[in-house]
Amino acid sequence: MSDTDFLLDSRGDAQDLGAWVIGAVFGRDGGCAFALGDGTVRLADGWRPVTAHDGACLSIAADVKDGVITGGDDGRVMRIAPDGTATELAKYGSKWVDHVAAHDSGLRAATVGKAVHILDGKGTALKSLAHPTTVTGIAFDTKGKRIAASHYNGASLWFVAAKESSPRVLEWKGSHTGVVISPDASHVVTTMQENTLHGWRLADGQHMRMAGYPSKTKSVAFTAKGRWLATAGADCVVLWPFFGGGPMGKAPTELAGGDGVLCTTVACHPTQDVVAAGFDDGLVLIAEIGSGRVVPVAAPRGTAVSALAWNGVGSHLAFGTEGGFAGLIDLSKK
Amino acid sequence: MSDTTARDPVPVTVLTGYLGAGKTTLLNRILTENHGKKFAVVINEFGELGVDNDLVVDADEEVFEMNNGCICCTVRGDLIRILGGLMKRRDRFDGIILETTGLADPAPVAQTFFVDEDVKRATRLDAIVTVVDAKHLVARLADTKEAQEQIAFADIIVLNKMDLVTGAEADEVERRIRGINPYAEIRRATKSDVPIDSVIGRDAFNLERILEREPEFLSGDDHHEHDSEVNSVSFEVDKPIDAERFNAWITQVLASKGQDLLRTKGILYYADDSRRFAFQAVHMIADGDFIGEVKDGDPKKSKIVFIGRDLNRPWLRRGFEACQAGEDESKIQAEIARWTPPPA
Ligand SMILES: [Zn+2]
Repeated sequence: MSDTDFLLDSRGDAQDLGAWVIGAVFGRDGGCAFALGDGTVRLADGWRPVTAHDGACLSIAADVKDGVITGGDDGRVMRIAPDGTATELAKYGSKWVDHVAAHDSGLRAATVGKAVHILDGKGTALKSLAHPTTVTGIAFDTKGKRIAASHYNGASLWFVAAKESSPRVLEWKGSHTGVVISPDASHVVTTMQENTLHGWRLADGQHMRMAGYPSKTKSVAFTAKGRWLATAGADCVVLWPFFGGGPMGKAPTELAGGDGVLCTTVACHPTQDVVAAGFDDGLVLIAEIGSGRVVPVAAPRGTAVSALAWNGVGSHLAFGTEGGFAGLIDLSKK
Repeated sequence: MSDTTARDPVPVTVLTGYLGAGKTTLLNRILTENHGKKFAVVINEFGELGVDNDLVVDADEEVFEMNNGCICCTVRGDLIRILGGLMKRRDRFDGIILETTGLADPAPVAQTFFVDEDVKRATRLDAIVTVVDAKHLVARLADTKEAQEQIAFADIIVLNKMDLVTGAEADEVERRIRGINPYAEIRRATKSDVPIDSVIGRDAFNLERILEREPEFLSGDDHHEHDSEVNSVSFEVDKPIDAERFNAWITQVLASKGQDLLRTKGILYYADDSRRFAFQAVHMIADGDFIGEVKDGDPKKSKIVFIGRDLNRPWLRRGFEACQAGEDESKIQAEIARWTPPPA
């Protein structure tokens, strides 16, 4: 194996899972889970397969207190407890559950077509938020008070607890394919079909256009304090500054570029200005934003990195590829 | 440990046609016939009948405009999402069959395969198959523009319900189809009983197969329908094409007239190049590449076909002729200048 695999070999646990890794997350209990295109969830603790969906898993998120929730193309939302017990939380007929999210305040959300369904910690349906077109992404804000949903021609921002449900509609023409909210809930950013990002500053509705990508951006993440927005979609990690008046009129910072391979996935460290990035050839690395220093984590294995996640304290990194290779690396000081 | 290697693109067959024409019958025949292939089926939410298959996905036909502000530059947003989802369990099927509603314009579907980078990487458009009802097609063509578009886009037309028409009626229907699209292959059928391999695995959008079929033009008079009707024109030139001139001209023609041009296809012999160049476009969205060396004995006649509405035959002919190497430069400049793009 190459030197690029040094961290994976010396401090990691890797496994060929045999199916497209659609997502990796750490539960709030600290356990790591991978959701796969074959409908199973693998718990990194022993790599046990848990049957979650009759079809493919389409989305995975950390559940409210512990374990994970998944959405599948069998129309179900499942909860996988840390011990591997699978429970159905909701079923929406033959429709796909494209996205799921949960917040430690006790809320869960699942997207089904044009609707975002909000469930409580017990799985009871609280409300259903309607959108003009299919919802392509969701995100809770840090406090769990609001949820943003991206769709055609913009994004909708809802107060989850409001009695009268009508969203603040953030309009921008075109097909929006995913959404994030900055940690201080001051900005909403969407990815778009046409190789750009669009942002709104919520205080005054100011638009921001972040362009120049050679490819679609499918993964974006704010750094811990919200100073940077790390983005995939170029042959390096593109970081937009959200300070000092940015990102408008500011050039983005580029990290870990140079070999012409597209960055497909990014994940920001939960406390430091460090970003993990996965590439189209399977390379995984971590980069320190301040110094630009890059440390390889896993060598290219031929298929794109499709999942990447840090645990809550930032000591462990999990990744997975379209080809089914997955790894969990302990990066804590020893 | 090694990763699974990337696979070949998945073929996607688009099945279109009016409600009641026999689309679902054909679909179920494809699914149940013993060919050893597994299909994922994407059906529209207003589907006629049950489809008996392991993997069926409901689509809601969300047509999205692209951000150039042009009404013909559209894609199927739901299709991008669904094909992306299906790729995550790629090992479960050999091909995808996509049904569209009878009222659907096929252009956004076709354009999705040209425009979206993920769809382009993971799939290939195999063919557009249009099922029509021999008894009612003529009335449909008079009623709606979608019926004409579905004929215009078709690679294969299943002329169904032959048991309900006389020989003379069938000939008249075929004549009407040929008037719109002389390049499609017509398969007469009763209860959609065409051989499965005549509709599946055709690879009709492969540049190498463009204009492979000889057109079946109308016999007799060049009967001119009124301008709102879809028809086709084609031209052939003997001298090699100047690549730069052709690019400049076709770019301008598509930008100016693309909304009315449903499908454009060409095979070109460039001056100073030993290879053939193939070209196709759906409305304004074009794709082209070299498709290999010229074979011995090839007459090297460049050819272009336009299928669309309100086609100005003399303008298109003179423009294509002016693309020939050796023609006067002022000629092509004048031909390009005719086509003014509409204001954005
Ligand atoms: Zn257009």
